[in-house]
Order: sequence, then structure tokens, then C-alpha cells
Amino acid sequence: MSIQQALDALRTDTPSRVAAAADLEQLAAVEAETVGKRSIIAEGRRSLGAVPETDRKDLGRAINEVAVELESLIATRRAELERSAHAAALASDAVDVTLPGRAPKRGTIHIIQQALDEVVDIFVAMGYTVATGPEAETEYYNFTALNFPPAHPTRLESDTLYLDYGDVPEEILLRTHTSPMQARYMEQHDPPVYLVVPGRTYRSDPLDPTHSPVFHQVEGLAVDTDITFGDLKGVLEHFAREFLGPEAKVKFIPHFFPFTEPSAEMHVWHNGDWMELLGCGMVNPAVFEAVGYDPDEVTGFAFGMGADRLAMARHGITDLRHLFDPDLRSMEQYR
Amino acid sequence: MKPTLDWLGDFVDLPTSDPEEIAAALDSLGLKVESWEPIQQRFSGVVIGRVLEVSPHPDADKVRLTRVDVGGEVLDIVCGAWNFSEGAVVPVAVPGAVLQGDLAIGERAIRGVTSYGMICSEQELEVGEDATGIMVLDDDYPDAANRIGQPFESLLPVGDVVFDIEITSNRPDAMSVYGIARELAAYYDVPLRQPDFPLDVYNDEATTTVTILDEVACPRFVGREVHGITVGASPHRMRARLIAAGVRPINNVVDASNYAMIEFGHPTHAFDRDRLGDTIVVRRADESEEVITLDGVTRTLQTTDIVVADAERPVALAGIMGGADTEVSDDTDSALIEAAYWEPPSVLLTSKRFDLRSEASARFERGMDPEACRHAADRVAELLVAHAGATIGGVVDSYPAPPTPAVIELPMSEIERLLGVTVESTQATDLLTRLGFGVEGSDPLTVTVPTRRPDVGRPADLVEEIARLYGFENIPGRLRMGNGQGLPVAERRLRKLRSVMVGAGYHEALNFSFIGTADLDRLGLPDGDAARNGIRVLNPLRQEEGVMRTTMLPGLLRAASLNVSRRVEDIQIFEIGKVFLPGSGKLPDQPDRLGFVAAGVRTAGWDRRKSGYDVYDATGLWETIAAAMDLPEPAVQPVQRAPFHPGRAAAVTIGGDIVGTVGEVDPAVASAMGLDGRVIAGEIDVAPLVIDRGPWVFSVPSQYPPQIFDLAFEVDEGVPAAKILDAINDTAGDMLERLEVFDVYAGESLGEGRKSIAVNLTLRAPDRTLSDEETAPLRRSIVAAVESATGGELRGSL
Repeated sequence: MSIQQALDALRTDTPSRVAAAADLEQLAAVEAETVGKRSIIAEGRRSLGAVPETDRKDLGRAINEVAVELESLIATRRAELERSAHAAALASDAVDVTLPGRAPKRGTIHIIQQALDEVVDIFVAMGYTVATGPEAETEYYNFTALNFPPAHPTRLESDTLYLDYGDVPEEILLRTHTSPMQARYMEQHDPPVYLVVPGRTYRSDPLDPTHSPVFHQVEGLAVDTDITFGDLKGVLEHFAREFLGPEAKVKFIPHFFPFTEPSAEMHVWHNGDWMELLGCGMVNPAVFEAVGYDPDEVTGFAFGMGADRLAMARHGITDLRHLFDPDLRSMEQYR
Repeated sequence: MKPTLDWLGDFVDLPTSDPEEIAAALDSLGLKVESWEPIQQRFSGVVIGRVLEVSPHPDADKVRLTRVDVGGEVLDIVCGAWNFSEGAVVPVAVPGAVLQGDLAIGERAIRGVTSYGMICSEQELEVGEDATGIMVLDDDYPDAANRIGQPFESLLPVGDVVFDIEITSNRPDAMSVYGIARELAAYYDVPLRQPDFPLDVYNDEATTTVTILDEVACPRFVGREVHGITVGASPHRMRARLIAAGVRPINNVVDASNYAMIEFGHPTHAFDRDRLGDTIVVRRADESEEVITLDGVTRTLQTTDIVVADAERPVALAGIMGGADTEVSDDTDSALIEAAYWEPPSVLLTSKRFDLRSEASARFERGMDPEACRHAADRVAELLVAHAGATIGGVVDSYPAPPTPAVIELPMSEIERLLGVTVESTQATDLLTRLGFGVEGSDPLTVTVPTRRPDVGRPADLVEEIARLYGFENIPGRLRMGNGQGLPVAERRLRKLRSVMVGAGYHEALNFSFIGTADLDRLGLPDGDAARNGIRVLNPLRQEEGVMRTTMLPGLLRAASLNVSRRVEDIQIFEIGKVFLPGSGKLPDQPDRLGFVAAGVRTAGWDRRKSGYDVYDATGLWETIAAAMDLPEPAVQPVQRAPFHPGRAAAVTIGGDIVGTVGEVDPAVASAMGLDGRVIAGEIDVAPLVIDRGPWVFSVPSQYPPQIFDLAFEVDEGVPAAKILDAINDTAGDMLERLEVFDVYAGESLGEGRKSIAVNLTLRAPDRTLSDEETAPLRRSIVAAVESATGGELRGSL
């Protein structure tokens, strides 16, 4: 059989052999026999030198044609076999992806802290700064500087927790509000003042669904040459919309605090009822006098709100005690 | 305050009877309506009847037979009450009536006699508490006899509502039905009906004399005498109003005093005149003098206490509570009605010392109106005349120190300066006048403050009065931006610290700032430990909360223990808050601390083995914190400090300064807290973590290949790994990119008391590929440094 005949036979036989190769190993064997070093193609190429020059070119071309054709055929088949081998490997590696994932552990920030931070951020965006103050406070800053008369009932032990500290009886107490920082800050800074004070506060109230001896407030204070009750309303209305959403409906009703005059409570419409959100008012001139500001030169407003209540209202918590019960099943819900 | 709409109607005709509208008006006046509810009748088919005949029941001696005229019809009714006779006007539930919402009344045979309906008691009708007999209407409702056959409810207020109003402590003038009516009259700009007492004509000399020895504590004392009192029940309408106001009816004498107080605000006290001497003295108590108050308690007095006394002894603790032995009783014939003005500070001082607060003391503490005393005493006397058969006696009115009403100049500019709206002086005058202020001039306004308003003393107070009536809702809001400095760095870094803890899987708790001494005992703190020196709360709510916390650990360990008891398996909790320590200044030192605890079983997925927490989780957390917070030279060193495990705890340091402790909790302490297995905890000062450390500076990662190699050193068991690491760090210089301990081994092959520590080093240069030749000297000096620092030796060769 001439080389040409052998090539023709190879050309005819090989496709079915390639197709019949069931795996890469079998294909490799077919490849070795058909286009490998011992194949007719390799043999033909080696023998080209002995072929008469006139035929050499044609035969060489014919060998190459067959070689290219068969190599392409084998490559296609190899790709096919590789694909299915890969698919089989993946199939055998498959798992049940609906089993629980390996979640990195996630802690949580207490929702009271979240509320404190969020309130602070809203006021920071309005140009306020932040300060914090001592929780064990003097009666002067907690009461006297804020225009509480010496005989005010809130000073009673039934309302205020006192500490056994220092030489003067009932001089050191646990602050009943964050308001002492109003006086402390104004003593240390000249006007204008735009300040919020987040922090922990205390009252002599046993823990029950709506009271706690420990609670949290954010105090606010704005003092400048021309602050009015209109500014107070505008700023706090803006806060309510930022915190509760653009549809938040609020109303201001007159109230009483010794350190503001006029005083008001801001109520918001929440879950079908008016809810008291914060107390506020124009800084009482007596407070300005106590800190060395001239009440004829400056006016200001102050406000204070309970962060605990904000957190409760937002997350549908009706019993304050949950916030102070460090049960992880509660805390894991915080997000 | 809980006035009813009906009672308010005695003094003011409101333009609306819609309770929602009235509540909104009260709110806008600053008289906050906590709630309001209709006083609803839960009966129907009850009519006014007259008893025509009463006869015995043939077969029963506990009930009687009556014939009752119910208007055009006479019903036979069997009745078990005995407090009436023929002619009485009574409420009758006729057949078809419904009582108490769902109790149907029909014809019913009682011991063989058919009863066509039922004569009702107050309790059956739910219009009062009396169940001792049926209601006899002609006693209390003189008009009832003319209304036979008409519905019973025609005698009661129509559509009545009770409001529950919070009165702020600055408004003692509004602690009465009249005071609230006055505010509503001002709001609606309608007339207020002045009470009209004919008693002013009774100005007889009293048989009692009054001497006031302390005119500051008591600028006025009025005593009104009444005689011939018959103690009994008050009329139904009066009792119904008292009940609605939250006051329990007692008898016509006590009720009169309470009724007058609710109505006009001023507390009064009735003495049994016959048990009282003729000469009343208002004075400071003698030291150690005693008085037995109405509640039966013997009170030992001090000279700061003000008493009402006769020649013999104190008979009342002024403004707080009367004395027991001059108390009005069922046998009282004559009474002296005291209506005095008691200065708030002395009332507060005494009531606080005795922890004795009464409705009267609460009012005097806030400041009553001295001008109202006479009126108050006379109103009580009038009620006793009307309802207790009394006759008016003499009056003594000692008024040595009438108050001078405050006069305030109010420049019109002040209104605009505080409110941001322009109010014309005519409008301001009108608003203030409606509230009872005297106003003269136009700018400034010269304003005379009524004596009932102790809260008004400055122009700002008048601006508030104007604003209240002007309406807060009519003052437009203006969004005013500040010029503050934003969030201070320390606050921002504190938030970052929190997020680091959260990223490490810890949940934030907010524990109370109180602990008990038992908590410190449980921690096993030695006697001299600074944390033992807690500051006591003088008036703690619970003994377990008697001390301010000196450490965050008790609250955190308790939190862990609580979760264990609730079968929560994996516990990681942190808290940031203040501890309270004795300091050198006026206030205690109150540093912020970060505390954490982890306990239980850590699970890392359904296919992983569970593991617990140990000291390396604690020190590792410190490393994470130190890295995230960019702390300079963070390190740890062994420490023995309760409540930590003496061999598994570390003091954490920044630049060599100790800032806290982390590690495993002493197993004995953990077990005392109900915690099994290893428990880790830590407590670190927050200030050095969050202070501003400036921006950190980026270093460009080298693009050249590193040299990575291991070194293992055999050292004595007691040599801390830190010695090896420090020696390497100190020697390797800038080229050391990474240094990790990857194996610690102690075994037979090394011999007793020896261990091997293996480290992996990565050396890399910023600008070139390092060659073995170049690093060989460095490796040799690293090994030499470690060997000399530890006395150990390199295992194998370089």
C-alpha cells in the first residue's frame, strides 16, 4: 500500500475511532496511533526525503492536510471529553447548598445607643457639636444652676438618688437629667452655643414597664444673639421628620421646666395617638445669669428627650425592662 | 386633676361640649389632658317613681311589698331595702329595663308574690358606691318629686365627661375645677362665673382667737366656726363628683372639705371646736415637742416645724396633717374650719423629714393664694350648712402680712425677641387681661400679677402667658443651623470602638451602674483592692444596688450567667460605661471603661466542632482593638489580679502603660456566678483607646519577592514567647514584614522543663529582591539576639 493509500485509509478510519474514544486516555491512544510519532503521518514525513523531488511537494501537502484535519478532529473531541470530565468532577463535588452557611459572628449595638447616635447625628448635621458630662453630679449643676428652687420636690430622695461622697450632705447626686451640661458647657464656652449632650441619667424610680432608675437622654442647647421660640420649633420639627420620617406630625403644648420659659412638650403622632417625644423651651434668664451670660444679650432654647422611649417606640417594645435585660435573644434582634 | 364637664359648667359656659375639642384647648393651655372618658350610664328603662304604699310580705320578713307610682301606672314591687317609707321618691327599674349593661329586669315571683320591677340602689345603678339601701331621691334631688315617670337619668348630668389633667408644678392656681374653668374662659374668651357666697354677711366675732407668731411661715390664718353639725352622708351629686375626681366620699364633713378643695383649690382643715382651746397660736414647734397626727403616728417635732397649737399643745402639723385628738368625729357638733396660707419651704421641709405627704401639703408646697383663704373656709362652711344641718358661727381672720402683688414691666420687644413673632400691645393686653393679669400702658406694659400666680415673676414668664393663649401652633417654625464643630474625634473613635466589638461578635448590653457589696465578694477581690472602695448610694432602691460600680465585671458576669440559665449557648457581651471611684476633686472619678465577657460554646457552622473561649480569645481581641484603634506599642504582660485566673490573664499596655486586664476568669469566681467551663472577660480604660491619635500614614507594600523562613528555639518552659518575639522585632528592623508563632511544643524529646517555640518570618525589602547572601548576617544576628535574650538555642541550623 502506497503512502497515499495509507493516508486515505487513515482519513477514512480515524473519525469513527476518535468518536469512539470514551475518555481522554482512549483518545490519547487514538492520537498516538493516528498522528503520533509512530503513525503513518509521522512515517510519511520521515520518508519524504526518499520521494522523488517532483512528487515530494504534493505528497508533503497531502500528509499535512490529513494531519491538520485529524489533529483538529482530535482536539475537538478532547475539548468535548474534557468538558464532560469537568462536569462529572463538579457533579461529584456537589453539596446541599440549603444547609446553613458559615456566617461570620455578628455582634450588635444596643438600640438605646443606636437611638442616641442617630439623634446626635441629626443635630450634628444641623451644625451642633457634642459633649458629655459626669453622671455623678453636684446638686448645684443638677438643680440650683438650672433655677430649681431650694425646696423643689424633685430634690427629694423619693425622686433623686444621692451619693455618700464628700463632706456636704446631699451635695453629690446621680444626675436626674443631662441638663447639668447646659450650665457646665456655658460656663466653659462663650456664645454662640450649638450643643447636644447624650448620656445616662438616673431617678429614684423602681424598674417597671415604663420606669427605670437608669435611663438615657439627649440634651440640646442653642444660644445665640437672636434665637426665638420659632427657631426652637423649626429645629425640633426638622428633627422629628429626620428621625420619624418626612410625614411626622408634631405639636407643641405648653409645659413647665424650671430652666426654660416658655416651656413646651413636643408630641408626635405615633401609632394612632399623640406621644410625648421631648421637653423643650426658651432658656430661662435665671440660667443665663447663673452661668455668667447676659440675658439681655443672648437668647436660647434647650430640649431634652428620652432615648429609651425613642428606641421603644420605634421597635414596638412596650416594656422598658427588656432594654435592660441582657438576654442575648433580645440583643441578637438588634440590627 | 379630674374635673367633670358638668362641674366645669358651674363656672363657665363653653362654646362647645365636644370633649375632643375641649381636651385640645386644655392641651394648648398647658393643662395636659392625659385622657378623658365619658361618664356613661349602663342602665336603661329606669324611671323616677313614688312609693305609695308599703306593706309586709305574707311569707317573708326580710322583704316588703310596695306599690310604686311610675307615672300613669302603679307597679307592685317586692323590695328588700328598709331605708324608705311611703312617699319616698325612688329610681325604679320597670320591666324591660336593663341594669349594668346586660342585666334584664322583668316580672319575677318572690316568695309567691310577683314583683313588677325593682327599686334600685346606687350600686345597682352604678352611680355610686352605696349598697346599704335604695336611693331615696327626694333627699338629694328636690326636683325629683316633680318628675315622677320621667327617666332617672334626667336627674344626672347629660353627656358628662371626666378629664384627667396633668397640672405642672408651677401652676397651683390650676389645681381646681374653678382654676381650670378660669383657663378655659380665657381660652374661649367667655365670662367666668364668680362664686357667689352669701357668707360675707356672717362676720360675727368668733369664740376663737388666733395669734400668728411666725408671719413668714403663715401670713394668713382664717378660722370659720360652724355649729350644730349632723354628720351623715353627702348628697349623691356631690359624692358622684368626688368619685369622678378620684376622691372617696367619707361623710358630709370630710366631703365638704375635699369638695371645696377640688372646686377652688385651697386646702382646709376642720377641728372639732369643742376639743380645741379658745386661743390658737401659730408658732414654731418646741424642740422634742410631740403631736399625734391623724394617721395615729406620734411625731417628734423640731424648731423648724410650724404647728397650729392651742394653749396646751400642738393640734396640727401646719399645712400637712391635723392632730388626732382634735379630729372631727361622728359626735362633732361644732367645728373650726382652718384655711391658712403656709409658706412652701417650711411645709416641704417638715413633710420631707417625716416622709409625710398629703394632698394639702402637696398644694402648699407649690404655693397657694393667701387671698383665697377666707373664701375657702366659707365655702366649706356653706356646704356644711347645706348638707350637714350646720349653722354659721363667727370668723377669725388673722392676716398680718398681706402679699404685695408683683408688678412687671414688659417691653413689647421682649415678646418678639423670645417668640419670633410680632404681637401688638393691644393684643398682648387682651390676652393677659383674659388670664386675670392687670395691665396698664402700651409699651412697656405694666403688668400686675395675681397673687395666685407665684410662678410669674419675670418678663419671660409673661411672654409664656401670652404665648400660651396666642397659641404655640401660631408661631411659625424656622430651621436655624448652628455653627458647632460636629462630632468630636473622641466621640467618633468611641463609635469605632463599638463597631470593632460588634465586628468581633460581641453584643452590647447596658447594665445598671449599681452593684452590691455581695457582687464584689463574689469576684473574690482582696480587702485592699481599689474596686472594693465603692461609693455608696444614700437612698438605693434595692440593697443589691447600694453601691456605684467600681468595675464593669459584675454586671457582665451576671449577664453571662443569666443567659446560661436561659439556655443560651454562645455568649459574647460587651458594655461601655462609667465606673465610679473616689477621687481628689469634688466629684468622684468617673472614667469610661470597656468591659467584655465571653462564655459557653462557640459554634462555627453545622459541620464544625464546637469549642469554648480561652485566654487567647481575650488577648486576640485586644490585638484587634489595638490594630483598629491604631494604638502605639500595644502589648500584654502576665498579671495576677482578681477576679482573673492567675495564670491565664494579661495586663494590656499601650506604650508600656497598663490600661486594663483581659483573660480567663478564675474558675472559682465563674462557678460562683453559675458559669461552667472557661469564661473570658476584660476591662479596659476607654480614654486611651479613643483619644485623638491623628491620621495614620500609609506605607507602600513592596513589589519584590520576600524571603520566608522558619526558626524554632528550644527554651526553658518559663520563658515567655514575648521575649523571643521582642528580640526578633528589635533585631530584624524595617525588613521584617511579618512574624508569626506557628508552633509551641513541649514533649519527651526536649526533656523536662523545656519547650520549643517555632516562628515564621517574612523579610522583604522595599526596593530590591533580597538574596540569601544579603540576609544571612541578619538571620545570624536574629538567632543570636533570641538566644541571648532567652538563654535558649536554635533548633537545627540556619
